[in-house]
Order: sequence, then C-alpha cells, then structure tokens
Amino acid sequence: MKKSKTSVSFRETVRLTLRGCKVWWKENPRLLLSILMCGVVDALTPYVGIWLLARLIDEIAGERNSQTLMAYALALMITTAVLSMCSAGLTRWKNVQLESLWHTQNKVFMEKLLSMDFVDVDDGRVQELRSQIWQNTDSGGWGLYKLVYSFDAIIKSVISIIGAIMLSASLFLLPVKPESGKLTILNHPIFILLIVVLMLGVIFAAPWFSVKAGSYWVKCADENQLGNRLFGFWLGSLGNDRLKALDVRIYRQDILSKSNLAKYNPFIPSSKLAKASRRGMGIYHAMSGAVSQIFVGVAFIFVCLKALGGAFGVGSIVQYVSAITALSAGLSKLIEIIGDLGNNTSFLRTVFELLDVPNKMSHGDTTVNQNSSEKQKIEFRNVSFRYPGQDKYALRNVSLTFNEGQRLSVVGMNGSGKTTFIKLLCRLYDPTEGEILLNGIDIREYDYAEYMRLFSVVFQDFKLLSFELGQNIAGSMDYDSDKVSCCLRDAGFGVRQDKLPSGLSTKLYKDFDERGVNISSGEAQKIALARALYKDAPFIILDEPTAALDPIAEFEVYSEMNKIIGEKSAVFISHRLSSCRFCNDIAVFHEGNLVQLGSHDVLVNDKSGMYYKLWSAQAQYYETEGLN
Amino acid sequence: MPVSLKVSDTAKRKLQRPTYRFGQNTAYMISLAWRRRRSLVLLGLTMTVVSILLSLTQLFIVPSIISAVEAKVSVAELTVIIFMFTAALMILGAAKAYLTSCSQFGRIEVRLMIGAMIQNKSLTMSYPDIEDQDVQKKMDKASMLVNSNTASTEAIWTTLSNLLKNVTEFIIYISLLATLDPFMIIAVVVTTLVSFLVSNYLNGWGYRHRDEESEYSRRMNYLSEKSRDYTLAKDIRIFGMVDWIEEVYNSILCLYRSFIAHRERIYIWGNIVDIILTFMRNAIVYFFLIGSVIGGKMSAAEFVLYFNIVNVFTSGIGSIMSDFATLRKQSLDISAVREFLDYPESFKMEEGTPITPDFKILYQIELKDVSFCYPKSEKNTLSHINLTIRPGEKLAVVGLNGAGKSTLIKLMCGFLDPTEGKVLLNNVDIRTYNRRDYYKLFSAVFQDFSVLDVTIAENITQTDENINTELMERCINQAGLTEKIAGLPNGVETHIGRVFADGINLSGGELQRLMLARALYKNAPILILDEPTSALDPIAESDIYNKYNELIDGRMAVYISHRLASTRFCDRIILIAEGCIDEEGTHDELIARNGHYADLFEIQSRYYREGGVDDEKE
Repeated sequence: MKKSKTSVSFRETVRLTLRGCKVWWKENPRLLLSILMCGVVDALTPYVGIWLLARLIDEIAGERNSQTLMAYALALMITTAVLSMCSAGLTRWKNVQLESLWHTQNKVFMEKLLSMDFVDVDDGRVQELRSQIWQNTDSGGWGLYKLVYSFDAIIKSVISIIGAIMLSASLFLLPVKPESGKLTILNHPIFILLIVVLMLGVIFAAPWFSVKAGSYWVKCADENQLGNRLFGFWLGSLGNDRLKALDVRIYRQDILSKSNLAKYNPFIPSSKLAKASRRGMGIYHAMSGAVSQIFVGVAFIFVCLKALGGAFGVGSIVQYVSAITALSAGLSKLIEIIGDLGNNTSFLRTVFELLDVPNKMSHGDTTVNQNSSEKQKIEFRNVSFRYPGQDKYALRNVSLTFNEGQRLSVVGMNGSGKTTFIKLLCRLYDPTEGEILLNGIDIREYDYAEYMRLFSVVFQDFKLLSFELGQNIAGSMDYDSDKVSCCLRDAGFGVRQDKLPSGLSTKLYKDFDERGVNISSGEAQKIALARALYKDAPFIILDEPTAALDPIAEFEVYSEMNKIIGEKSAVFISHRLSSCRFCNDIAVFHEGNLVQLGSHDVLVNDKSGMYYKLWSAQAQYYETEGLN
Repeated sequence: MPVSLKVSDTAKRKLQRPTYRFGQNTAYMISLAWRRRRSLVLLGLTMTVVSILLSLTQLFIVPSIISAVEAKVSVAELTVIIFMFTAALMILGAAKAYLTSCSQFGRIEVRLMIGAMIQNKSLTMSYPDIEDQDVQKKMDKASMLVNSNTASTEAIWTTLSNLLKNVTEFIIYISLLATLDPFMIIAVVVTTLVSFLVSNYLNGWGYRHRDEESEYSRRMNYLSEKSRDYTLAKDIRIFGMVDWIEEVYNSILCLYRSFIAHRERIYIWGNIVDIILTFMRNAIVYFFLIGSVIGGKMSAAEFVLYFNIVNVFTSGIGSIMSDFATLRKQSLDISAVREFLDYPESFKMEEGTPITPDFKILYQIELKDVSFCYPKSEKNTLSHINLTIRPGEKLAVVGLNGAGKSTLIKLMCGFLDPTEGKVLLNNVDIRTYNRRDYYKLFSAVFQDFSVLDVTIAENITQTDENINTELMERCINQAGLTEKIAGLPNGVETHIGRVFADGINLSGGELQRLMLARALYKNAPILILDEPTSALDPIAESDIYNKYNELIDGRMAVYISHRLASTRFCDRIILIAEGCIDEEGTHDELIARNGHYADLFEIQSRYYREGGVDDEKE
C-alpha cells in the first residue's frame, strides 16, 4: 500500500494531533494530566537552582560574607530536596500511566476490530492497516504513541522557555556602566534585536536539519516495511511455529531462509537507508548538532562583554548563559517536536483510517419474532455476491427457500460457493445483488444482534480461545455448568470431559497455564459443536463438522445428529457425501451457481448432474465391496 | 474473576543463575560484531572519544570564561577564548551527531544476525527438543530478545560505550579533584554509591517480578492478536464473544495497572533515600568548597569549576553504577540467547556417518522391537513394534485418533528416537547417520505443512538457485496446478503470502497440490503422505487417488489416512490400535478377516450403500 508522500498541511496536523489526544484522554485522562504536572515541575526545577547558584557565585566574587554564603547554600539544598520530592511523586504517578500505554493502544484497536462489520475485518486492506499501525509503533513509536511523548516534550519546552525568559530578561535590561567606554554600545536595543534574530535563526535551522534527516526514514519506508515483514515472517512466524517443525526439517527450509534473509535485508551497509546515514542523513544530523553551538558562542560573547562592562557580576554570567542556552534549547526542541508532529501526521492518517471504518451494514430495528406459530422461513431471491475487491462473482443468481425444521446439505467442488452461501445466510456479508428474506422481510431490516441469535455455526476454520473450557462453550465469562456438560456430552466429548483435571474450568491449550490441556483437532471439533449446541439457536450450520474425526467418531456424531438437532433447522457442508443421507434436501453448487436442488434419491438418479459425479467419485471405493 | 497472576516462589528461585558471566557475554558480542561488522566497534570507540572530549570542553568553558572576566582581559582576548571553545563544541557536536547516525545500522544488523542464528537453530535442532517445554521457553525468550531496537542485543552497544566513556571520565575527574580534600571526595563517592545501591535493589523489584508482569502482557497481547484473526472474527460475531473478550482484557489491564502502581510505590522509596543522601552530600560539598572560598584559597572561577566537576563526578558515579546494572541485565539476556544457541543436540548432526540418497540402492526400513514413550507420559505410545517395510512397498497406516500413527511415522523418518528397540535402514541403525542427511531420503506431505512467503517456484524447489525447470513443470503438472499457475500474472514467480506486495493466497486444496508438487520435485526414494487429500473435494480427491500409483513410481511409500477407501492401492495395510500393530494384510485379506479393520470399513461405507443409513445397529 503506497502512502502518498503529499505534504501535510498545518491544519491537518493540528486536527489529527488533537483528535489523537482525545483518544488518549478518553482511555485514560490521568495520562495527560500526570504528564502535564510532572512536566511543569521538572521544567521549572533547574531554574530555581540556577538563580540561587548565580547569587551564590556573585557573593563569592563579591563580599564573601559567610552568613550570606551559608544562607544561599542552605536555600539551594532545601529547594533541591523539596522539588525533587515533588518530581519523584509525580514521576511515579506518571509512570503508572505510561507503562500501560502499549496495552491501552492495543485496546483501542482491538475494540474497533471487534465491532467492525465482518466484511471489513475480512478485507485485506483492514488487516494491512492494522499491521502497518503495529509496525509504525514498533519502529519509532509513530502514530498515537508519538503524541504522548510529544505532549510531554512540549509541556517541558514551553515551561522551560517561560522560565528561561524570566531569568534572562534582566540581561537585556541591566545597563553597562558608563565607565567602561566602548562597551556602552551594548546598551543599545539593537543588540537585543540582533541576539533575538540570531537565536531564531539558529533555532529554526537546527531542527530543520533534524527533520530533513528524519525524512529519509519516510523515503525509505517501503523498503523498511518489506524488511519488517520479511523478518516478521522468517524470524517470527516460521521459527516459532512448532507444528511446522517436521516439514521444515524434511525440506531443509533453513537453507532457503538464510538466502532470503540475505537478499532482502534493508539494514546492511549497502542498503538505501544505511548509505543515506553516511551521506545526506548523516550530514543533516551533523549540521543540526553544530548549528546550535553557534548561538551559544554568540550568547557567551554578549553576556561576557556586558559583564566586562560591569553590568552585572560574574555569578550572573552563569545565570544568563544557562538561561539563554536553555531558552535556545527549549525553542529548538519545540520546533523539533512540531516538525515531528508534522511527520507523524501521515502515520496518524493510517490510524484514523482504521478507526473511521464505518459500520456499513444497515442495522434495522425490526425484532425477530421467534414465538410466532408460523414456521420461520428463509428465502434467497436471486442473490449474487462478489467479495470486495474481486471481479469474479462467488455466487450467482442463487434462489432457494429454507424452512424451519428442514435439513439441507450443501455440496460442491472447492470454490463452488458453499461457504460463501452460509456466510450470507448468517449475515456476515450482505448480498451484492438480490435479497435474503426472513419470513418475507429483508434481513437487513432486522436488528442485527437479534438476527445473529438465530444461528449457531461451526465453521471449518473455527477457533477456540486459550481460556476455560466452559467459557469457550458459552462464549462468555459466566456459564451454566449443567447446560455446558450436557452439550459436551451430546457432541461426543463426554468421555474426555470426565478426565479433565479441573472440569469445566480447565484451560484449553498450555499457553497460559501449565495445567491447561492440549486438545487434538478431533476434540476441538467436538467442543466447537458443543458451543453451537449451547447457543441453542433455531438454525444450526455445520461446515465440515467431522473432517478431523476418525470413522468411528464420525459415525457417532452423525448417529446422534438427529437427536441433537431435534426440531431445529440444519445446514451441512461436507465433502463426505455421507452427511447427505439424512438431509431432506441437497443443494449442489458449481462455480457460484446453484445447479441442483432435491433429495438424495432424486439427484443420485440424474446421471447427467453434478451430484451424481460427486457421489460416484467417492462411492466408487466402497461400491464393489459389500460386507460378507 | 481473574486473580492476580503471582508466580510461585519455587518458580522464582529458578530464575537465573546465568550460565555465562557478563565478561564472557561482552566478549562474545564484541567478537560477533568484529567478525560481521567491524565498523560497529570502531565507530563505537570513536564516538566514545568524541563524547569524552565534548564533556571536557563543556566542563571548562564556563570557568575559563569567568576566570577571564575576573582577570579583566581585553575584549579581543575574551572573544578569542570564546570563539575557540565554540568552535570545539561545534566540531565535536557535529561529529557526535554524525557518528550516532551512522552507527545505528551496524547495530541493527548484528541484532538481526543474532535473530537469524536463533531462527536457524530452531529450524534445524533435533526434533525431540522442539517438543520439550523447557526448550520452547528458551526459544521464546531468545526470540523476544532480538525483536526490537531496545532489545539487549542492540542496546548493549549503547551501554558499553556509555560505560567506557563514564569510566574514563571518572578517572579524569578524580585526577582533577586530587587537589581537594579527600574526605569530601570520599563522602561524595560513598553517598552516591549507597543511594545507588538502595535504588538499584528497589528497582530490581520489577525484574524479580517480571514473570508476573509478562503473564499480564502475554494475555493481553494474545487477545489483541486474536482480535486481528479474521477466521476467529466469524466465531466472535456468531457467538457474541465480543463482551467476553473485552471483559477479560479490561480486567487484566486493571490488574496490570495495579501491579505497576504497586511497583512504583516501592520504587519511590528509592527516590526518598536518594533525596536524603543528596541533601547530605550537598551539605558536605558546600561546606568544603565554601570553606575554601572563605579561606581565600579559591576564586569564583575555581569555585564554579570544582562545583561543576563535583556535579559531573557525582552523576558519573551514578551513571557507571547504572551502566553496570543495565549491563548485567543485558548480559542475562545475552546469556539466555546463548543458552538456546548452545543447546546440545540429541541427534548426531555432523559427527555421524554421512548418507546421500542413491536410486541404485534399494532401501528397506525396519522397526525392530520398537517402543516409544513421550517424556512426560507414563504410558508407552507405541509398544514392541516389529515392522519391515520392503523396498518399493506401498504401506498404508490406519487407526483411530491417538492410536500412534503419527508417532510411528516420526520414528521411521528419524524425528524421534525409540525409547527401546532400533530403527534400521538397510540393517544400519539410523542413529549412526547424520540426521540431516537421513532426512534427504524422504519426501513428505504432512498434515501441518510449511508454505513459505517466497515464489511458487521456490516453494516447490525449496531453493533459489539451480532450479531444474523441466522437472518443476512436470511436478506442477502431476499435481494438477498447471492451469492455476498459468493464470497468475507472474506465473511461477508469483509470491505467496504477505511479505511481498504481489503475494497471493492459495486455497486449501491448491496448497495441498503445491505440497504434493514439492514432494515430487525433491524426488527422494521414500515418500510419506499424511492425510494428503483431506481438504480436497470428492472429484479432486478421486483425481489424486488415481494418480498415486503413477506418482509413487516404484518408491517406498507410507501413507496415513482416515479414509479407508484410499488405502486400497497400497500393497499392505497395518492397523494401529493401542500402540501395537493390531491387524496387517492387504485390503481384501483384512476384510475377509472380519476384524477391526472390517468394522471401520463397514462404518465408513455405510452411507454409500443404497438404503444404508436405516439399518444401523446401535
């Protein structure tokens, strides 16, 4: 995804930055508050010390009155201690907020992803955005993170600038004594102007160089992102995936890994970015480092000449030099932060692009009437569907009626549209053309949550979470243990259930608990089935429900299926045509079209049809063998 | 309701007695860097020198100027002094910034190199170790230590150069302070040390409790990752799991914040101790310095100079101490990395007999009285297996889930060594061979296969040089992928996966065909197929079955499947039950025997017989 390198307007920077701050504020107001308070204290503390020290030095250079000297020393010690204490308290408070920054940010995105329409989560673009946001955070904290640190730096710079101005104001006001002859020109206000102009010049130059240097990273972003993805795959997913260990060794994938990593490494000295660091980028950094010193030099000259002229004592030299350098540093830092925020804007755009993904599935408000005496009926009317960003239609002109209590089997070759069909049925997607009606009303008019409640689905690629078994079945923290037990037994998990160390509180997989249990794919399938049963929805949809089960387990499940499903309506997708035998109807899909619909007996006798082809391809191995 | 995730005390005590000390680890890192990227070390040293010079210049500038003003020098002289200092600062400042900019890449490169070493180890180490929980933990830990710029494998360079700089400066400052009262210096050193040690001990709380912290982080990261999982997204919406997930996350976040708050309340005591000691130290320093001033032994400029020196000296000690503490932590991390990298191999990898596949040799595999028991298990998974697979034989292995089929295959292929008995290749114990060489004899399609984010051609050939294009195309054809690949814009050069911008995703069935093509290309004498058609539709499945005789082509083939239908083209079928070979024979023999195999077959075939469903027995 190429990001446009268009320049960012100041207004947009301000708008997105403020919006980002609002996000943080909403999640945790104490974050910004603690940064503010801590920043104020930390920024002002040094000035107190500078002022007192300057007076002390003046006294040393002057009268050397021991009482006065002790007084100043004591003042320095006490103020240091008191201010340090305040700073420490506030810093600790701030740290608590900062430490959970990463997880707070993840929470924001997690909530968004969980609430999005399914069609968007499934969309490669959204996955890409999320992945980029993560990479941006990882490689320099770009995006929301930067805002927090920028806020901290801005507070400190602004306060520091104010403090510095207060301490250095008198530099310009105190006049050189008339006795010093030529030096009295320094009293002329033009010097103030000169100093200020020079300071501004240097202040803008230094961060400008810094920002120019930083922009090389943006220029090389594409290569770096490739590098990140590359390392993320080879070093991350591949190395850590233990399931693939057998394959990896048989095919010596370590060899291809070495060569791939060597080819695309963006950080070797010959890479674009590394070269830039020795040339353009490096020089900009160097100039940035050098330029700020010029101002320091000039400031020294001005201050010292005035001191030579007797305008103030030696101690004040220390004060003014410290104050002016702090002022310059503060202003530089401020400019740099602003530049940084400017650079950050493009990353914030990505963040808000994700957060602003709208929920396009219209949410109607008709309630689904489950108690009516009329049978529930779902009808597909000329439904066509195309996945976003694809040209080919996954479903074409499908029309089908499905009644309550009916059992439907959906079959077809890979890619024929079976899974798409059920995804549309349970409204994970809306049709591109045509409509789906529940009891005569377009399903888009129903309340989404209520419509969802009608369906229990076990997808082929279902997932379970590494938490308690009972919670996984219920899909929530609390559950009805008896009901869970019952559903597990119905799904064929009963025997295993009795052997579990902590019953229904046993954690699945060993990710978070040593006492968790590893479950096989067959067992997982049974748990997923139990989950579907627990929901107790009127429509059950099963996509390859016995793919991972051995023949005996499969037999058990299908035998019980009649009983388990009872009065409910069921849709089965299975490659093993065995499941078709106990369905009323079979829907045969081919290349997105519904080509045949009917009972097994009717379809199997249509020797020119797709169903017959599929059936005989499987049955051929069993046909010539009867039982003796 | 989740409770705080405290780690048990015994677990805590097991935390770290490092295998490698920090001197060794520092030497290790430096020699790694020296071999790979010499400039890293040289740049580091140069930067240190520049930093030291910069510090010294900054130290002397103000006192020199004040001294000049006090001495009432001429305007010209003053300007010259200031000019020279400024020029020095400019040059040194520029040099430092430039060097910092350049040195970053060498550091990243070395860190990534270590990452590649870790990954290489995990991809090639003896298989039984992969299953070992202990090793898994070591591997996870090592992997985490290379995945960001702040990780120890990169940050250590900053620590080392800071340490070098601070120690050098310390020596310089001590010599500068030599003229002052030693008691003051001792007091400064002692107060700084005590303050540091106390803070350090308290600050170690976080480190000592890092397991508890990581438990919180891991769970939250897990949920955050899950929210991105688009296959899980369906389940989440269908089963209304959003509230559950958010509730769990929020409660853990709450616990995490409490944990951190608790930690900070402990840390603040370190601040308090430090403030008290600082107060005492300042009192002593002022007493001595002002005493000298009152006694007329020190000018204002000298006061400023010594005052500055004492300050940088104090912070220097603090820095050295904290550098050592950081270094120690980083050294522990490097130790963790090395522990993983140096984990001994259970198999002979290079010290055994070499072996290369030779098509003129007929290979026979024999399992002689083989038993196998997984490390943490009480029961044997396989007991007293005696099995000889003859050259060119097609063997089917069937059995219920958990019967031991996969374990049998792993023993045959040399992924596991038997607990009792031997696995022999042409009467030689396979343990004597170099294990990686032994793997060359096998082409496999496993259930959990590894598709790489590289081109299709590279996935099939598993190399990016010397590709035998003709063979590759033949394999693509045999696997039934020619049409699909021809339809892609870049053909076989199309990338798979997300790493490259033009990467595509293949469907489950297409991936299985790709893996089959890969197995064919490798052209090894022994073929292993583990449920190779489970994701294919009946027509495609039938298609592949019809090809197997052709594809196997006289090689030895071992085939695992649930689908008893597919075993019919094999010479011999063995049924594994309860860790033993229950029944053995050809398909017809086993059906005639009317035993367990016949039962299984009957159950599966039931649905395909006319009117079969209704005459169920139970």
